[in-house]
Amino acid sequence: MDYIYSILVLAGIYLALSASFDLIIGYGGLISIAHPIFYAIGAYTAGLLAVSWHVPALPATLCGGVLAMIASVAMSLPAIRVAGDYLLIASIGFQLGLLQVIKNVQFTGGDAGLSNIPSAIDGPFRSHVFAAISLVLGLAVVLLIRWIVRGPYGAIITAMRDDELALLALGRNVTRIKVVILALGSGLAGCAGGVYTFYYQYLNPSQFDVLQSATILTMVVVGGMGTSLGPMIGTVLLLGLPQAITFLHLPPSIMAPFQGILFCLLVLLFIQLRPQGIIAARRPQT
Amino acid sequence: MTEVIRLESVHKRFGGVVVADDINLSLAKGEILGLIGPNGAGKTSLFNLISGVVPLDAGRIFLGGRRIDRMPLYRRARAGVSRTWQHMRLFHTMTTMDNMLVAPRVCHGESLTRVLFSPGATSREQKDLRERARRLLRRLELDDVTDKLVSELPFGQQKLIGLARALMHGGDCLLLDEPMAGVEGRVYETMQSVVREEATAGRAVCVVEHNISFIKDLCNRAVFMANGRIVQTGTVDELLGSSVLAELYFGA
Repeated sequence: MDYIYSILVLAGIYLALSASFDLIIGYGGLISIAHPIFYAIGAYTAGLLAVSWHVPALPATLCGGVLAMIASVAMSLPAIRVAGDYLLIASIGFQLGLLQVIKNVQFTGGDAGLSNIPSAIDGPFRSHVFAAISLVLGLAVVLLIRWIVRGPYGAIITAMRDDELALLALGRNVTRIKVVILALGSGLAGCAGGVYTFYYQYLNPSQFDVLQSATILTMVVVGGMGTSLGPMIGTVLLLGLPQAITFLHLPPSIMAPFQGILFCLLVLLFIQLRPQGIIAARRPQT
Repeated sequence: MTEVIRLESVHKRFGGVVVADDINLSLAKGEILGLIGPNGAGKTSLFNLISGVVPLDAGRIFLGGRRIDRMPLYRRARAGVSRTWQHMRLFHTMTTMDNMLVAPRVCHGESLTRVLFSPGATSREQKDLRERARRLLRRLELDDVTDKLVSELPFGQQKLIGLARALMHGGDCLLLDEPMAGVEGRVYETMQSVVREEATAGRAVCVVEHNISFIKDLCNRAVFMANGRIVQTGTVDELLGSSVLAELYFGA
């Protein structure tokens, strides 16, 4: 049974990650691949605070979110100021570079990873509680983003995607709007990192590599970019699919590449056949 | 008359093409200035220089006595430069109302912290903005398309929404880039009466327009531009009588 709960924990975390990434790429139209590194910053901050200073889980997780937010501003502000297109390049550098730093400095545990993270919750219902916390976080992120994009801020984000110059000429500070969207999305990813940290009690840099970026992006694309339901469907599908294949009882040597092929196929199929994802956004395609 | 905007020796060139050559111009409150000249004369470029789409090479621009030529585009808009675009540049995936709601000079919805942490105040402000937008749309006879997607509306109405959005923005200086191009009939009348009302209400309006009769009906004064320079300034009749204009404009 624990197996199911661990999947539910992951589902909540990935829901938070894909929904927050959807805010950035789907609603904001900001192309970045650095989402996993903000997830890592949140996870490592929470883990290190707990290991070194015995900070309780909730404040440690919030600190992780805040630090991820600050780091995202450090990445996006200079890039967006130069020109929007540089964001992708900056994000690649940030993702790869910072992960190398995590791998090579001592205090993060380096390549061996960070272990001995205290368990925030003990007892027989540990997994149940974590599953609940994680799912609540995931849903809260979805609802928060849904609320924002349906309000006045959402109208400004849509206008920005439609015609940036016209919006600037109306006095909206587009650079700030982009930086804020990235900061919010990254901060939420950081909080998801905190939940991961206290559930698994062990962090390894390879869990936050660029492949994670592909996974999260696949969830958003398959589910439907710029929708609140899309990331939910994408997460369930892409977490469920590998679990479903395990029942085929394939040998591990075939299993791993098979999963990879399946993911690639999904993305290719969706981009070709249904670029708007399973849930289409309620706006005309341009 | 109170001066709203003043341009002092504004220069701009793109490579070898001079689009603004020593432009000196000032607009007073309540004035409607027509900007005429052949294609490529630098009329739209002048609007881009004033609103900050492109930076100046030299010269100064003052808005209400405040120097604005070094401000970025969005700051000049906040300072009070409202403009429309020749190709409208509406937010095409949005409704007419939403196009209006993102437009005001002071837009509290732009601050995410405010939206998140004082939702009560935000919704009151949105309500007021909606009311203001409705009044404006009614004036422009757009009340029945308030909740329609702008991309689905006829050209003339889109043109009017462009004007409505600029009025919603509410700057003291209103720059209209070819408001009449492709517009006829009722929309023409509406456009003219609204522009006149706005000037009477105290805005300084500058219109780039090829439709000479529109300029003639509306403008107190007109400026004739060619090759990035102001060739002549005067009343519309004076300009139309000028031989220089006839020669350059009509290629006579």
